[in-house]
Order: sequence, then C-alpha cells, then structure tokens
Amino acid sequence: MKLLKEKKNELDEINKEFLAETLNGSALLHEALSTFINDKLKKESLEGIIKTEKKCDELKDKYTQVLFRDKRALPFLVEDRYNILMMIDSVNDKMEFFSRFLEVYPFKLYKEIKDDFKKLCSACSQAVEELVNCAILIETDFDAAYKKTFEIEERKREARTAKFILLGKLYKMKDDPIKVYLTSKLVTYIYEIVSWVEETSDYLRGLIIKYPSK
Amino acid sequence: MALEYIVIIFLIISIIISFGIGANDETMAPLYGSRILNIKQILILAAIFAIAGALLLGEGVAKSVGDKILLLDYEAAGINQNAVVMTILISTAIVLILSSALGLPISSTHATIGGIIGLGLLLGGGEGVNWSTILEMSIWWLASPIIGFTVTYGVVKLLNKHKIKFLKGFKDYERSENTYSYIVLIIICITAFSRAGNDCSNAVGIVIGVGDNINITLLLIMTGLGLASGVTVLGRIVIKNLGKMTELRPSTAFAVQVPTAAVMLIGTIQKIPLSGSHLLVASLVGLSKASNTPMKKGLWKIIAIWLLTFPVAAILSIILYFPIDLLI
Repeated sequence: MKLLKEKKNELDEINKEFLAETLNGSALLHEALSTFINDKLKKESLEGIIKTEKKCDELKDKYTQVLFRDKRALPFLVEDRYNILMMIDSVNDKMEFFSRFLEVYPFKLYKEIKDDFKKLCSACSQAVEELVNCAILIETDFDAAYKKTFEIEERKREARTAKFILLGKLYKMKDDPIKVYLTSKLVTYIYEIVSWVEETSDYLRGLIIKYPSK
Repeated sequence: MALEYIVIIFLIISIIISFGIGANDETMAPLYGSRILNIKQILILAAIFAIAGALLLGEGVAKSVGDKILLLDYEAAGINQNAVVMTILISTAIVLILSSALGLPISSTHATIGGIIGLGLLLGGGEGVNWSTILEMSIWWLASPIIGFTVTYGVVKLLNKHKIKFLKGFKDYERSENTYSYIVLIIICITAFSRAGNDCSNAVGIVIGVGDNINITLLLIMTGLGLASGVTVLGRIVIKNLGKMTELRPSTAFAVQVPTAAVMLIGTIQKIPLSGSHLLVASLVGLSKASNTPMKKGLWKIIAIWLLTFPVAAILSIILYFPIDLLI
C-alpha cells in the first residue's frame, strides 16, 4: 500500500510538471504567432518552445521509468497512462517542429490572410490548452473531461475551416510560388498540431467510455 | 507381486496423477489476466498453496464419485478392483496432462467419469454403468456453464452501475481497483488451498487403499509436490491461456472469481458435481458479454475439448485396463 502511494504521488508530480510545460509551450507558440502576424517575430519564444519540448522529453523519460519501475502497482492503468503521455508528447513534438520551421521561414505573412491565420492560431492554442485541462480532469472528473473532448472537437472544426479558407486564398495568389508553397506549409503544420490534439482527445474519450463511467 | 512394490508403483502413479491435476489447475488464471501478480509470483503462490492444501486438507477429503456410476460386482465377475481404480486414475491423468499441454482447461471430474464409463462398458456392458446417475449429472454439466455465465453477467452489470455512480475519475478507479486486487488475491488463495486439498484426495486415495503402513504425511507432501510441479511446469500454459481470454481488471476478476467460488461452494454443499473449469470459462464469457469486450480466439477449442473429454478418457481407459490388470 505504501509503495503504491509513493509511486502514485511521484507519478502525479511528474505528470503535473509535464502538463505545465506543455501549457507553457502552447503559450509561447501563441506569443510567437502573434508577433509573427504583426511582422515582428519574437525568436526568443520559438527558442522557448524548443527548450520546453526538451524538458518535456526529460519528464516523459522520468515518468516512464517510474511507471514501469514496479510492474505490479497500477497495472490496469499503466498502458493507458503511458499512451496518454506519449500522445501529449507528440503535441509538443509538433509544436517544436513548427517552431523550427517558423524560425527559418524567410517571408512576412500576406496581409490578405492575416485574419484567417489569426483564427487558425487561436484555435490551435485553445485546443492545446483544453487538451491539458482534459488530461487533468480525467483524473478526478470523467464527466467534465468527456465534455471537454467535444470542445476540442469544435476547435478542430474551426481550425479545419480556417485552414481551407487560407489554402483557397493562397492557391489563388499570383505571387512567388516558393512563398505560396511555404506559407501553405505553415498553415498545414499549425493545423497538424490541432488535428493531433483532437486525436489525443478522442483517445481520452475512448478511455472514459472504456472505464464504466457513461 | 510383493506388496511393497505395489505400494511403490501406486505411489509413483499417485504423483503422476497429482501432476496431471496440478497441470490443469486454472484457479490462478484471473490473477494473471488482471495482472495483479506476474506469472512468476503466481506460480510461486500456486506451488505454496498446492503443498499447504494437500498437507493440511488432503487427508480429510474423500471422493466416491466412481461408486455411484460403476455397477460392477467385482467378486462375482472376478474383476481386479485395484486395476479398475488405477486405470481410471491413469487415464484421467493422461487426459489432464494432454489438455494442459495444449493450454486448455478441462473438468477433472469429466475426465474421471469418461474413464469410468469406458471401463463400465468394457467390463459390465450396458449394465455396467449407472445411466440414470450419468443423466442426472449431465444436467448439471450443461447447467454449470449457464450458471457461471448468468451469475457473472449479473454481477458485472451491477458492478458497472456501482462504478458509474461512485467512480468519477482515474484516481477513484485506481483506489477501487487496488482494493479489488487484494480481495481477489485472498479469494483465489483460499480457493487454491481448498482445491489442493480436494484434488489431493484423488491422488492419495489409491495408495492409502493398498497398504496400512504408509506415512500419510510424507505421502501428502509428495502429492502436494506433484500438484505444485504440475502447476509450475504445465499449469502456466493453462493459466496464461485462460487469463488472456478476455480483458480482465481486478474488479472484473472479482466479478468472475466470486460467483465461480460461491456457485462451487453451493454445489459442494448440495453435492452437485459442478465443474470449476466450466464455471470459470463461462464466467469469462459472461464478463465479455456484459462489458462488451471481445473474447480471444480459442473458446471453440475449449468447448471442443470439453466434448472430447468423455470419449477420449473412455477409450484410453479401455486401452490401458488390460496391461494394468496384468501388472497388478
């Protein structure tokens, strides 16, 4: 019993730190994108995202070590917890990948697409924030976490609409094809973050249904 | 043949029989399936309870299922009763070992009765077997899986209702599952202990019958070791196979194990020959249906081996009777 409690507390602490770092990464991404839209990209924010991802990787390793340290304790949730962590970590990876891409993106954003781009970015940071909340809620409140998964789905829909509006506008542009191509990649990479967030939330919803709660 | 040699032969066969019974002991399967313990811990526990159960309970338990089914006048027909008992037990052991090697749990009672029917037909023709008793028993053989399925289905549904009402998140879940894991562990240990005592009597009975100057304690220890080695050598295949038939968690293992143990207890008190293996497998199917989790492939293999148990044991006992009769 004592062993189980110690392990549980340790896992809780690492998980909290991991989720806080993910949230921090999302906030930095939001900051970076806001400055990018205003043509004054803050590269420090992008560096911050990369550092956050590295920290998350370390926490992920630590969490996995503790999770599998004693195979008997909490066996029925080990795989599920591991999968949740890995999926949220992929969100961090995608944010980091996007940051590196934005760092080398050599152009300024087209004025014609700034409003829709803002919508896409807003949906992205909201989705990540809601996913972190959902991962916290699933520990204590299945009902609230379940509702949260539908909110995340809504964010994905918003992001998808914004993505196709943006792509539609971009493909009609008669400008430097490299700039059009790279800007469309920018849009696609942001959308991929939201898309993965939704996939993770779908997994969480599946877990809520799997464990009798609905 | 000198009595000492007969006793030694019976002793060896008794250990083989206990090995066969231990090899087909699926009691620990829910512990493995719900991952409360790992296979190494399970086998250690199974071995300890097999020896303890045999040593502490083995002496007091006696079974006389054969008396009700065989209608043979041994003296009048000049039949060697020791050879009959020995043949039935050896054929039972062989059937149990073979099915265990395939990882399939069968009822040891069915294997025994299959052997009895075979010998009854061989030595007494159609009148050598008490068919009305067989018919009465067969009703319970059909009823066992139905009872196991129904009771577990109901318990799982009730348990799920309780979970929806009281368990609000992973933390609640972990707390609850942890409690269940201790309950299941205790129940399974008690079941393994009493089952070892019960099974031991099948193997010990034949040796006690042939000689008076036998050290019973030593005999029980040897039989217990036979049961323990059966579980650890071949029983692990059955435990793994059955434990992985459907998704188990400590709470669902509880839902499977408690009705099985309760129904078996009622059956024992009422002297109804229920099969623990059949009850457990049917309970797992009940769990799968009640919680909408898929069953792994292999259920049909188990049902097929249940149906084959009788004819195989009967044929085997007919084949084995003549050489054993010559030997004893």
